[in-house]
Amino acid sequence: MNISGILVVTAPEHTGNVSKKLQSLTGIEIHYVDAATGRIVITQEAETISAEVDGLKRIRALPHIVLAEMSCHYFEEDRELLDAIPAELDDEGLESGSVPACLNE
Amino acid sequence: MDLTRREFLKSSAATATATAAGITVPAAALAKSKQADAGVQWDKSVCRFCGTGCGIMVATKGGRIVATKGDPDAPVNRGLNCIKGYFNGKIQYGKDRLTRPLMRMTDGEFDKQGKFQPVSWERAFDEMEKQFKKTYQDMGPHGVAVFGSGQYTIPEGYVMAKLMKAGFRSNNIDPNARHCMASAVVGFIQTFGIDEPAGNYDDIEHTDTVVTWGANMAECHPILWARVSDRRLGNDNVKLVNLTTISNQTSDIADLEIVFKPGTDLAIQNYILREIVKNDAVNHDFVNKHCVFSTGPYDIGYGMRGTSKYAFDAEKDIQAKELVVTLDADEAVAQRRKPGEKVKQNNTKKPVKHWLITYEEFKRGVEPYTLDFVAELSKGDPDEDLAAYKQKLQELAKLYMDKNRKLVSYWTMGFNQHYRGSWVNEQNYAIHLLLGKQAQPGNGAFSLTGQPSACGTAREVGTFAHRLPADLVVFNPKHRAFSEGLWKLPANTLNPKVGSHITKIMRDLEDGSVKWAWVQVNNPFQATANANHWLKAARKMDNFLVVSDPYPTVSAKVADLILPTAMIFEKWGLYGNAERRTQAWRQQVNPPGEAMGDVWQGLEFAKRFKLKEVWGEQAVPGLKAGGFEDGKLPDVLAEAQKMGYSPDDTLYDVLFANKENRKVKWPDKSVAKGHGNHIAEKLDDGWFPEKALFNEYRQFGVGHAHDLAEFDVYYRDDVRGLKWPVVDGKETQWRFNEKYDSYCAKGSGFDFYGKALKALPSGDLDKVTTPDKTSLAHKAKIFFRPYAAPPEQPDKNYDLWFSTGRVLEHWHTGTMTRRVPELHRAVPTALLYMNPDDAKARGIQRNDVVWIESRRGKIKAVVETRGRNRPVKGYTFAAFFDEGVFVNKVCLDVTCPMSKEEDFKKAAIKVYKA
Repeated sequence: MNISGILVVTAPEHTGNVSKKLQSLTGIEIHYVDAATGRIVITQEAETISAEVDGLKRIRALPHIVLAEMSCHYFEEDRELLDAIPAELDDEGLESGSVPACLNE
Repeated sequence: MDLTRREFLKSSAATATATAAGITVPAAALAKSKQADAGVQWDKSVCRFCGTGCGIMVATKGGRIVATKGDPDAPVNRGLNCIKGYFNGKIQYGKDRLTRPLMRMTDGEFDKQGKFQPVSWERAFDEMEKQFKKTYQDMGPHGVAVFGSGQYTIPEGYVMAKLMKAGFRSNNIDPNARHCMASAVVGFIQTFGIDEPAGNYDDIEHTDTVVTWGANMAECHPILWARVSDRRLGNDNVKLVNLTTISNQTSDIADLEIVFKPGTDLAIQNYILREIVKNDAVNHDFVNKHCVFSTGPYDIGYGMRGTSKYAFDAEKDIQAKELVVTLDADEAVAQRRKPGEKVKQNNTKKPVKHWLITYEEFKRGVEPYTLDFVAELSKGDPDEDLAAYKQKLQELAKLYMDKNRKLVSYWTMGFNQHYRGSWVNEQNYAIHLLLGKQAQPGNGAFSLTGQPSACGTAREVGTFAHRLPADLVVFNPKHRAFSEGLWKLPANTLNPKVGSHITKIMRDLEDGSVKWAWVQVNNPFQATANANHWLKAARKMDNFLVVSDPYPTVSAKVADLILPTAMIFEKWGLYGNAERRTQAWRQQVNPPGEAMGDVWQGLEFAKRFKLKEVWGEQAVPGLKAGGFEDGKLPDVLAEAQKMGYSPDDTLYDVLFANKENRKVKWPDKSVAKGHGNHIAEKLDDGWFPEKALFNEYRQFGVGHAHDLAEFDVYYRDDVRGLKWPVVDGKETQWRFNEKYDSYCAKGSGFDFYGKALKALPSGDLDKVTTPDKTSLAHKAKIFFRPYAAPPEQPDKNYDLWFSTGRVLEHWHTGTMTRRVPELHRAVPTALLYMNPDDAKARGIQRNDVVWIESRRGKIKAVVETRGRNRPVKGYTFAAFFDEGVFVNKVCLDVTCPMSKEEDFKKAAIKVYKA
C-alpha cells in the first residue's frame, strides 16, 4: 500500500476540465484546487506496484498537464515490494550477513 | 492498513503537498494531518542523488525509515521531489545489503584467486594494512591510490584527503567527480580564477531566456526543470532553447530545438561570438572594465595514453591521434590551417597554458565562423533543411544579443564529458562576458552538477589529485605551506607532485604502477569508459583492491576485500550542491549488521600507521619541485619531534583525534536532538568526528572567499542550507557582483577577484610574443578556442554515433535506484534508442535484442525506436545505469586534455541483431 501526494499544474482556464479528468482515474482523490493558479493537489492510492508506477505517467499523459510531480510518499512494509527487486540483484535464500552468490561467480 | 489510518495518511500527504505548493490549508485539515504523524519522528535532510540538492524530510519509526517528503521549506525544491527523490527512504533496504566485511580467501588466508568469505573488521583491516605497507615500502606514496567520490559527505572527503595527502604523503586520490564536472572546474578556474558558479537557482525566476546545452534537464535535473517549466508557463515572453545531439524530453516544451553534430558546439559558440562582434552587441563598458582576452595551444591531444602498448589492436588507429592529428577540411578552416596538414601534438603535457591576446586578435580568431560554415558543419539531422537550420542558429544568436533580454545558459555532461570539455565551458563564459550578461539575477552561464556533493566535497574539500581545500593546489609552494600550517605538519610534508587522475589510476592498475587501491562511495569499474581494460587489470594484475560499498556492485565483484558501508541516513553528513549551498543532516537510523560509515573506516585505518612509517624519506618518481631533491620527499620526523610529536604517534592521533578535536564532545545534545552517531559511539573516544573535522576544515576558506558557517548553524531548524561565502552569518546570492558579494571591492560594480592564473604573458592567436607577465587581477578572461574534430567518428566499419547518460528513474550506475522495486519496474533495463530508419536499414525491429560493438568491446541491449529519446539518423543512446548492459565496455576513454574528464558522449559503434 502506497499513498502519495501529487501536485498537478495546469493553465488556470483548464483547471475544471483537468480536475474532472483526474477524478475519473482510479485511486485518485482531489484535495485542493486553486483555480487562480491552476494548481491541483491530489493523493494517489495504489495497491499494486505497476499501478503505483504508472500512476504519475497516466496523469502526465492527460491533456493540458504542465507539471505533475510527487511531493510526499508514505509506504508500509510490503512483501510484494521487497520481492520484486531485479533478478540479478536478488539472491534466493540470502540471509542477513551471508555472501551474495553473484560475488563468487 | 485500516481505513482510519489510510484517511489520516491521505490527508497528511495532501496537506504536505498543498503547503509545498503555497495553497492555504484549513486549520482542521492541518490538525488531522498532524495526527497521522503520531509516533513518527520527522527530520530535515538532503536527497542522496543528483547535484540539485533538494531538501527532503525523513520520518523514522521504530528504528526504520517509514516516509519521506519534499521539504516545503527547502528553497531549492519547495516541497517537490522527482521520482528518484521520492524513493530516498527505500534505497537502504535492498535485500542484498552487505552487512559484513568479505575477503577473497583460500584455507583461511587471503588469496586473490579465492572466494569471498565473511571476515571480522579486525581481520579485514589487518590484511588491508599488510598489503598497503608492502606496496608503500616497495613503491612509495604513489604506489597506492584512492578512488574518491562526489558523493562523499564533506567530513568523509576531508578524512580521506587529509589521510592521503598529509598522512601518506600521496596525491593519488581522485574522485568520480572527475568524470562529472572536472571540465566545469577548469572553465571556472581559467575564466574567473576561482571555482563554482556566480549565480544560483533563483536565476530561473529572474530570467526570461533559458538555453540548455548538452543538458537534458527534464530527465536529469527534473526539479529545476519544474521551476523552469513554471517560469515558462507564467510568462509568454520567456523562451526556452534546447541544444542537443538527440531530441529528448527537454525539447518537449522548448521554443527552439537545435540538433547539432557531436563536437560542433565549439563551432556554434564561435558563430555566436562572431555575431556579437559583427553586430557590435559587445557590452564594451563591462568588457573594458572587467575582462581580458586570452587563448592557448590547440595541439593538446585527447588525454589518451601516449603509447599503444596497452591498446587492443582495434583501438590503435584512434590512440595514434594522441601523437599526430591530420586536420580535416573543417578543422583547417576553423584553425586557419591547411586540410590534410599533420599536426604533432606538442602540448599534451601543458594543455592549460594560455596567454593574453588583444580584442583584434580575438576578432580574427572568430572570423572564419560564418553562418554558412557553421551551419553546414554543425547540422545534426541529415534530413533537416539547411535553410531552416540556419534560421535557428540566427534566432539563437539574436536571443543572446537582445539587450532587453536576460539569459541563463545551463549545461551538464554534454559539455563536461567532451574531448574539449574545458573549451566549451570557457566559451560559454566568453559569450556571457562579452555581452555583460554574467553574475546578475537572471543573467549568467551556470554549470549544473550531477552528484550531491561534487561541489561541496570533491571540489571544495579538494579530493582531487592536484587540490587541497578551498581551491588550493599541491603544486603551489605557498598553498602547501598554508595547509601545513593549518594542519600542524612539519614543512615539506605535503607532496608537490600532482597524483593520478581517476582514469590514470585505472591505467596505473593496468600497467602495474599502482598496486593498492581503495574505492569509496562510487563504482568506478562500471562507471569508467573502456571498462574491459580495467576489469582485467583488477583481476589479473598483482594488486590489492578494497571496495567500500553497501551493495555487491560491479566494483565489489572485482575487489579483493569488500567493506560493508553505511548509507546516507545511517550517518551524519553535509553535502554542497551546484549553487554553493551547503546542507546538513543527522543520522536517522543505525546501519544494518556490521556496516559502518566511511568516516569510521578512514579513521580506523589511520590508527594502523605510526608517523615513523610514513614521514621518513619517501621516493616519488618524477617529483621535481623547488626545495625538494629530485624524486624524493624529505624525512620530516626530526621536525615533527620538535613540534611535539613522537615517531610512535599514529596518524589517527596526529591528524584526527588530536587535542583540539577531542575538545569537540560527543554526545552533543544541542545538535543531536536525540539522534545517534554510530561512528562516535563505536570510536568511543568521547569526540564528535564529523563536527570537529568540519570546523577544522572550514578554517581553510574563512577570509578567502570560501567562507562556510560553523557546523551547528547548518543543523538549526530555521536553516535550509547556506550558499557560501557565508560572511557575518549571511549567505551570498550572486558572486562577483558588488550589490550581493561582500568580497567585491567598493565601487567596482563587478569584481572577478579569483586569484588563480591572474598574471599572463601576451601573444597572438598562435604563440606567446611577450613572455613578460601582465597582471589581470580582478578581471575575467574571454577565451578564443577553435573547433577541433572528435578523435573518433563513425566510419564504414563503426557507422553510428553512440552516447551514454542518465534516465529520470535511475541514478549513476543504478546501485541504489535499481534496488527500489518501483524504480526498477519503471525502467528495468537500459534500452538502445535508435532512429527507426537506422533500425530498418539493419533489419532490426523495436524490442529486438542487438549487439552494440565498438573498437573496445561489445554488449547486448534491447532496441527502442520510439519513446522519450528520439535520435536523428546516425545517432544512438543507451543509459549507463544497467550493469547487465554495461555500456562503458564500448565507450571511449578519451578525455579533455585539460580537465582529464572522459568523453562518454562520442563513440563510434555498429549495431546488429543478436
